[in-house]
Amino acid sequence: MLYTELTSSAQKEALDRFKAKGFPTNKWEEWKYASLKSWNDKDLDWTPAALNETSSASLQTQNGNTNFKGALPAGVEFISFDAFIEANPSIAAKWEQRLPILDQNSLFDLNTALVVNTQVLWVKAGVSVDQAITHDFILSAAKASAVQSRLIVYLEADASLTLIERAFTREGSAEVLSNFVQEIYVNEKANLTYVKEQDLAQNTTHIDHTFITQLSNSQVDLFTFSLNAAYLRNNLHFYSDGEHVISNLNGLYVPGEDQLMDSHTVVDHRKPNSESHELYKGVLLGNATGVFNGKIFVRPDAQKTNAFQSCKNVLASTRATMNTKPQLEIWADDVKCSHGTTTGQLNEEALFYLRSRGISLANARTLLLLAFVQEVIDRVTHEETKLRLTDKIISKIQTSLAI
Amino acid sequence: MLSIKNLQARIGEKEILKGINLEIKAGEVHAIMGPNGSGKSTLASVLAGREDYEVTGGSVEFFGKDLLDLAPEERAAEGLFLAFQYPVEIPGVSTTNFMKSAVNEIRKYRGQEPLDAVQFLKMFKEKMSYVNIDQSLLSRALNEGFSGGEKKRNEIFQMAVLEPKLAILDETDSGLDIDALRIVAEGVNKLKSPDNATIVVTHYQRLLDYIIPDFVHVLYKGKIVKSGGKELALELEERGYDWIISALGE
Repeated sequence: MLYTELTSSAQKEALDRFKAKGFPTNKWEEWKYASLKSWNDKDLDWTPAALNETSSASLQTQNGNTNFKGALPAGVEFISFDAFIEANPSIAAKWEQRLPILDQNSLFDLNTALVVNTQVLWVKAGVSVDQAITHDFILSAAKASAVQSRLIVYLEADASLTLIERAFTREGSAEVLSNFVQEIYVNEKANLTYVKEQDLAQNTTHIDHTFITQLSNSQVDLFTFSLNAAYLRNNLHFYSDGEHVISNLNGLYVPGEDQLMDSHTVVDHRKPNSESHELYKGVLLGNATGVFNGKIFVRPDAQKTNAFQSCKNVLASTRATMNTKPQLEIWADDVKCSHGTTTGQLNEEALFYLRSRGISLANARTLLLLAFVQEVIDRVTHEETKLRLTDKIISKIQTSLAI
Repeated sequence: MLSIKNLQARIGEKEILKGINLEIKAGEVHAIMGPNGSGKSTLASVLAGREDYEVTGGSVEFFGKDLLDLAPEERAAEGLFLAFQYPVEIPGVSTTNFMKSAVNEIRKYRGQEPLDAVQFLKMFKEKMSYVNIDQSLLSRALNEGFSGGEKKRNEIFQMAVLEPKLAILDETDSGLDIDALRIVAEGVNKLKSPDNATIVVTHYQRLLDYIIPDFVHVLYKGKIVKSGGKELALELEERGYDWIISALGE
């Protein structure tokens, strides 16, 4: 069955599956700290109207409707998924095969059932897109709503793309649960840099599922900067399905008062000679809750895999909580894998040193926290984005510490 | 400028300072000597405001202000500086980076305009020559991978930048070879003026060959048990501390 044939009956089935399970609760192992149970009882608008407002970005998703404004770069197409499959019948078969590997949680079913607009950003073989494409992901609702969005990014062989996603909530929006599914396919020797900036309102719940498949000699540098939202959940899955694949996962979360940020990552090494590098850092402010769950699978065929994972957290407040859980499952014997998680407070001795030089306690803490997060920010090569993120993070930390 | 009266302090349940009295005037250099565990570094830490210590009695006035009532950063802004015995390593923070914040925060405290990037760079360059320190060292993460000499030179460089009224050098000679010691001492001497004062905390006399004290105090079991001129340091070098301790009847 092709995706194009997933007519309303398939959507109905997905909806039935969702209805049987409902929103994840803390009884589900993977959602232990990030229950969405309260959404089961809410009176929601399930198909909130699309907005007509525009932003400066060329790629825009507004309440689940994605459009490309202005001229497409040469060698890039932006078309519906149906049209994409029609134009690429050979891909359709491959696409079917990827379905079983997706995380079939109830939210994915919900998305499949109710998503109305699935678009593909398609970069043709050998095309290197010079300018980064900015993707504004905008939420806005008149009444409490659930928004389903889906985007597919397809890079043919030797293609290269930088994507900057800015997820935010329009001012004055009612409460929103945003359920965003992204499927990204990176073919042989293709190269993707993807920066996600999640800066949503305090009445927004945002669940981001990003599934990335990489073929031989491809490289993906993915960054997730989680800045604001009442609830942010990132399900980031890498399927390393070729040799000499490089997967770089970088994450930075700075949850503050009454915010929960949960990063669930999976790196699935399925073929030999590939590498993955995962660096996640968190600064937890106020009474924030953070969750990091990092799974690495090294399949029996994936000999000579190098897989590294590191998650470091600073509790900048005595009321903050961090839950970490690295999970490595290794079936191949000739591999290099490491993982390490730390959660602690700022070094008192370093704080005293800076204060003894005339720096106030709040500024000394900010300085140390920025030094801590800089390692992740500095890896962003897109200058404008790096500066914007730095400003936002400084201001968030300063505001929180000044209280 | 500094008046310490009957200062008592403890860490946990352990009494360390048991009644220190010390008067320091502008233009003076005071050496505090004493055997290990006598309370020398504790005195330096208490004056700088380290929170591990609890002051249980006495008073410290700095230019007429109650020093013990001030936060460490306020003490710095009032003109107090501590050169650390063990300078802390701070990953991701360079000297240039944090000293800029420090200078401008202190200027703000004193009601002065902040320095802009150009003024700061000019001042920095001038102060670098005091201790013969390299720009590249100042751009690196603070004290990370620095040699003992580099760490101490960096401390004196910061002192040069902040121009304190009272500098406390806590065992600045520890871990230094003779060349590094000379460079550090020369830096301190260049910064000496009739308006500022220095407290040199040291176990050995050799630093005092280069930084000549006006007064030498011997600290023992949390009290100053003997004070004298620079010749006292030489006598201590020759005879050790035992003759003072036995004179106390212990």
